Parts: sequence; structure tokens; C-alpha cells
Amino acid sequence: MILGAALLAFGAAPAKAQNRVRITKLSDVAFGSLSNLSVDAIQAQSICLFSQTATKGYNVRATGSAPGSALALVSGANLLAYEVQWNQLSGQSSGTQLTSGVTLTGQTSLATQQTCNSGPATSASLILILRSTALSNARAGSYTGTLTLVIGPE
Amino acid sequence: MRRIHLTSAAALSALVVGTSATAATQGTLGATSTGTVSISASVPNRVRISGLSDVAFTNVDPSVNASNAQNVCVWSNTSTKGYRVTASGSGAANAFTLANAALTVPYTVEWAATTGQTSGTALATGTPFTGLTSLATNSNCASGPSSSASLIVRIAATDLQTMNAATSYTGTLTLLVAPE
Repeated sequence: MILGAALLAFGAAPAKAQNRVRITKLSDVAFGSLSNLSVDAIQAQSICLFSQTATKGYNVRATGSAPGSALALVSGANLLAYEVQWNQLSGQSSGTQLTSGVTLTGQTSLATQQTCNSGPATSASLILILRSTALSNARAGSYTGTLTLVIGPE
Repeated sequence: MRRIHLTSAAALSALVVGTSATAATQGTLGATSTGTVSISASVPNRVRISGLSDVAFTNVDPSVNASNAQNVCVWSNTSTKGYRVTASGSGAANAFTLANAALTVPYTVEWAATTGQTSGTALATGTPFTGLTSLATNSNCASGPSSSASLIVRIAATDLQTMNAATSYTGTLTLLVAPE
């Protein structure tokens, strides 16, 4: 009888939700034609970052599409470095600078729904910056690149 | 003392229109979630002239041609690193002249697209000198070559001899650089 009760307890163990995260509401970034190369060009966007963990914690890692996964745009053989900042709050125009391939830990999300369809509409800020120091020495041309963001639960 | 003040200006040319890239991708719910953002920007043609110094011909011997050469930085971000330069003076009709009230004396301007030169191609006021190329790799030559062109200003002895002694003649030379 005792053995049977123990077996029953294993079989009825409550299912645990796995730690899940999701990043959505990302938009492409078009700096356009930068007429003034003496000032920083900044593009900030609010995005949805959802974490299902008990603490709603997550980490973020950014990589670029330039050689060596560098955070740089490419025009032929020319590179134009950009800076990526992350803020765990939405609506921000500055944050913590990310280094390609290096995980920023200790972030927390206020999102209550995985795509922010209810609750806060957004929960984090992604900021991209083309520094004037890079722009003022850049070769003329059209530059493109892809930023990849990988989110993990904490 | 006879002094020429130099000022600079830069010009821009047609803008390069950016191209669109693939659309952002959204992450899915999972143990990790990955999203991507396409980024685009376009940098127009730009040039810069810097490293200019005032020119002072002081107590010059009027029997000898006076000459002053200086190294300057001209940077061009075009694919060919090309540029053109247009000089203009502050005299009547932008003439290359120094003046003290009604007194004037002409000077000449030469340009070389390499640094360290003491002679170059004579410039005519308002006429672009085209087809130049810069070796500068930084917009103000803070890295790479410390200068990339030579500016030479001269006053001929025959003109020096027309000047009143102990009289200061001044003027301003404007250099307009544009990308090519």
C-alpha cells in the first residue's frame, strides 16, 4: 500500500512550465541618407520582450553580419561600425552598450503576454547608433547589415 | 607686416539614396528566442579641408620673391578620393590681392595634391582646379598621413617693390573644396 501510494505520487507530479522567452515587435532600421556626418545618428525602437521565468528575467546577445560578426554595416569593401544599446524599459533612447557575441545578463521584462498583445505594449528598447566619429570618416555609399538578437531566460 | 588670412569651406555633392533590406524577423516562444533587424544607411559624398594656417609675410626683402608653402589636409570620401578646389581672394572681383585702404598688392596661389611641395599649379580666382586626389585616410588627418596637399602663396618681387614700407596689407583667401 505504501509502495503504491509512492508510485501514484510520482505519476501525479504537477507539470512545470518551461522557461520560455520571446522577442517580437522588431522593426527594420533605416537611417536614410545622413547629410550631417558630424553628429551621431540614433534610432531607438520599443520592442516586446517576454520572459516566462519566475523572475521574468532574461539575457540578450547581439551579433552583426559584418566579418567576424562585427556590429558594422557593409558597402562593398567598406565598413561602417554601429553601436547597439539595450534598455530593459520601453521608450528609452539610451541603454547599456552591447558587444558582439557577449551576453548582457540580469534583464527583467514587464511584459505579461508573449507578444505584448495585452498588458504593456512594449517592454524593452533597442537603440542603434552611428557615431559621428565613424560617419565623418566613412566612405560614401549605401551600407546595409543585419543585427541578430538572441534572448535567453534567466 | 603683410598678412594673408586663410579660411576654408567645404561642399557636398549629390546624395546617395539608401537601399531597403529584408524585413525584420520576430522571435518565437522558446528556450531561446531570436529576432533580426535589417539596418541601412547611406553616406553622401563629403570632403573636408583642415590644417590651414594663416600666412604672414613679415619684413620681406622686396628684391626677392616672397613665398610661403604649407601642408594642409584635404579629405574626400568618394570612391576615387577625388576632389576639386576653388580659390577666391578678398580683393575686387575676388582678386588675389592684399590691401591697406586703397593700397593693394597682388599675390598668387598654387596648389599641389601632394604634401611637402613648394610649388604647384597656379590657381585662378573662382576657377575650379579639378581632377585632384587625396591620400588622406582620416577626415582631419588625425590618423594616416598628417597632411595631403600643399598650398603655396607668393608675392612677386616686382609687386613687393610697389608696396609702401611699414604698412600692413591684409586679405583673405577662401578655398572651396568639393568632392569628385
